[in-house]
Amino acid sequence: MSQLILLSSFYLFTGTESAVLESAATEGSVGIAALISAGIFILMIIAISFRLLHETAAALLGAVTIFLVTYIGGHFNPALSIITFEGAMDFVDWNVIFLIMGMMIFMAILSETNVFKWLAFRLYLRAKGNTWLIVLWLVILTGITSAFLNNVTAILLIAPLSIQLAIALGLSPFAVVIAEVLASNIGGAATLIGDPPSTIVGSHIGLSFGEYLVNMAPVAILCLIALVVINRIQYRKEYAVAKKSISPTLVEKLESESDIEDFPTLYKALFIGTLTFVLFFVADYFGQMPLSVAALSGAALLIVWVRPDMEDMLREVDWTTLIFFIALFIVVGGMVTTGAISWLATRILVLAGDSLTRAIVLTTWISGIASGIVDNIPFTVAALPIVDLLTANIPGAEESNVLYWSLILGADLGGNFTYLGSAPNIVAVGLLAQAGYQLSFDRFMRDSVPVTIVTLVIATIWLLVRY
Amino acid sequence: MGIILCTTRGGPASYHTQDGAITLAKERGDTLLFLYVVDLHFLDKTAAPIVVDVGDEVQEMGEFLLLIAKERAEEQGVTAKTISRKGEVREEIKKVAQEEGVSLVMFGRPAGQESAFQLAELEEYAAEIERETGIETIIC
Repeated sequence: MSQLILLSSFYLFTGTESAVLESAATEGSVGIAALISAGIFILMIIAISFRLLHETAAALLGAVTIFLVTYIGGHFNPALSIITFEGAMDFVDWNVIFLIMGMMIFMAILSETNVFKWLAFRLYLRAKGNTWLIVLWLVILTGITSAFLNNVTAILLIAPLSIQLAIALGLSPFAVVIAEVLASNIGGAATLIGDPPSTIVGSHIGLSFGEYLVNMAPVAILCLIALVVINRIQYRKEYAVAKKSISPTLVEKLESESDIEDFPTLYKALFIGTLTFVLFFVADYFGQMPLSVAALSGAALLIVWVRPDMEDMLREVDWTTLIFFIALFIVVGGMVTTGAISWLATRILVLAGDSLTRAIVLTTWISGIASGIVDNIPFTVAALPIVDLLTANIPGAEESNVLYWSLILGADLGGNFTYLGSAPNIVAVGLLAQAGYQLSFDRFMRDSVPVTIVTLVIATIWLLVRY
Repeated sequence: MGIILCTTRGGPASYHTQDGAITLAKERGDTLLFLYVVDLHFLDKTAAPIVVDVGDEVQEMGEFLLLIAKERAEEQGVTAKTISRKGEVREEIKKVAQEEGVSLVMFGRPAGQESAFQLAELEEYAAEIERETGIETIIC
């Protein structure tokens, strides 16, 4: 339904390509409602990016303001009407909301088994004192974990142990944790459930799990390889002087932290997790079953089998995130309905012209740079209607969905530019501060900028060659 | 023989304070008590899904950092104990000082933005502890 509304609003502009360009060239103004909705969105982005408000509070305030302007302002002046409550509900992608919710339930149960720490400690033992190998294993573990679980959870589970290992080995925790954060954003691009921008775009254009994986996993692996090579070069001196072993007391402490806490639950979670992933792959076969249905089925089966305390279970579902997404869809819905997004999209279309190559490069790099400055989730939601318009009007874009892939890669990889770009970055900064290591904005960028530029270049080449 | 309370986070900025506390404990023949306080304010403005017990994860990390501090003290022949708490730093320091019968609370001089307190704020807080609990404080 939301796609229908989006398309119908775009068809106002997209009769033919030349008509669009002509329209874009001549259309000089937008209505007051469009300006207000864009203003609300910009204020929301500022509040989120500069941490003036909690993300959920900022998005909720934005959504409520849109409704108040529509109903109270619109009562006195119909031109102020942005979007009705019923209209706004059509813009909320419930598939995204329920998919994230299902995965949260699964993660909450799996993380209590301590399996990630157990894995991280086993990798440390396997590296046999080779510091570079320890970091390599931990970075790969984070990348793979982030491809299947939420990035922030991956960082919260793996980074504390990594910080401890680094300190004990006399290595700067920055060498490990920054690489893990970058790996979490890169790994998140590999699957449809890895990172919110991937989930949002995938759901919007109805991608299957397998289709997404085939298109994005290879480029994510290439980017992960680039990350570890750059990290090796950046920290070569630190690796050379790091200790080869840590004191027995500290090893004992790490080992005691890393025990599997609940084997029966772990086996059940792994069994149901495997079934869920099989369902993800075959979902398309069953009348294009939405992935949210597969995720919720897995979560429900696990709840029935493990029998966790339901009160605790519901507390572990992060409702603030779900509300954040709902409010965000409403705010962007307001901009689509009033034509603010179409206005911006036609300007970008003029810039891209007929060239698919130029459109790929523009989409990837604008998304990449913007996602480094503002949170990549609201950016992706707002950019989607623009990519819809570009895809509908640029020859060759529709067959391959290449501009959607560009948006995903730009938003996921660009989130690495600064530590404002995505939530795992912020969480890692907080964890490092808790260990007495203050990671400044500049210090983060010293490591992140080369990696982000190289990975965006890899992504651009991949998109141009593959599509 | 008394107890010196030293609040620490680990990391290079904390080593100076730990060293000062170890030296003082050695001179006075006191026992050292290293304290780590879990502070989760960094999660306040993030709507990312937090489905793990972050408090427990950070506390385990804190206990590891305390163990390193303890090893450093014991290498210098100083007896050291450790304690970790979750809560508001100012309140927890006061509570632990009173509960553990501490004779001296030692703070590190703030080193720029890396510190939990600014100097004036820390001096005021140290005076507040002395006034409310009667326990001596030092900023080294």
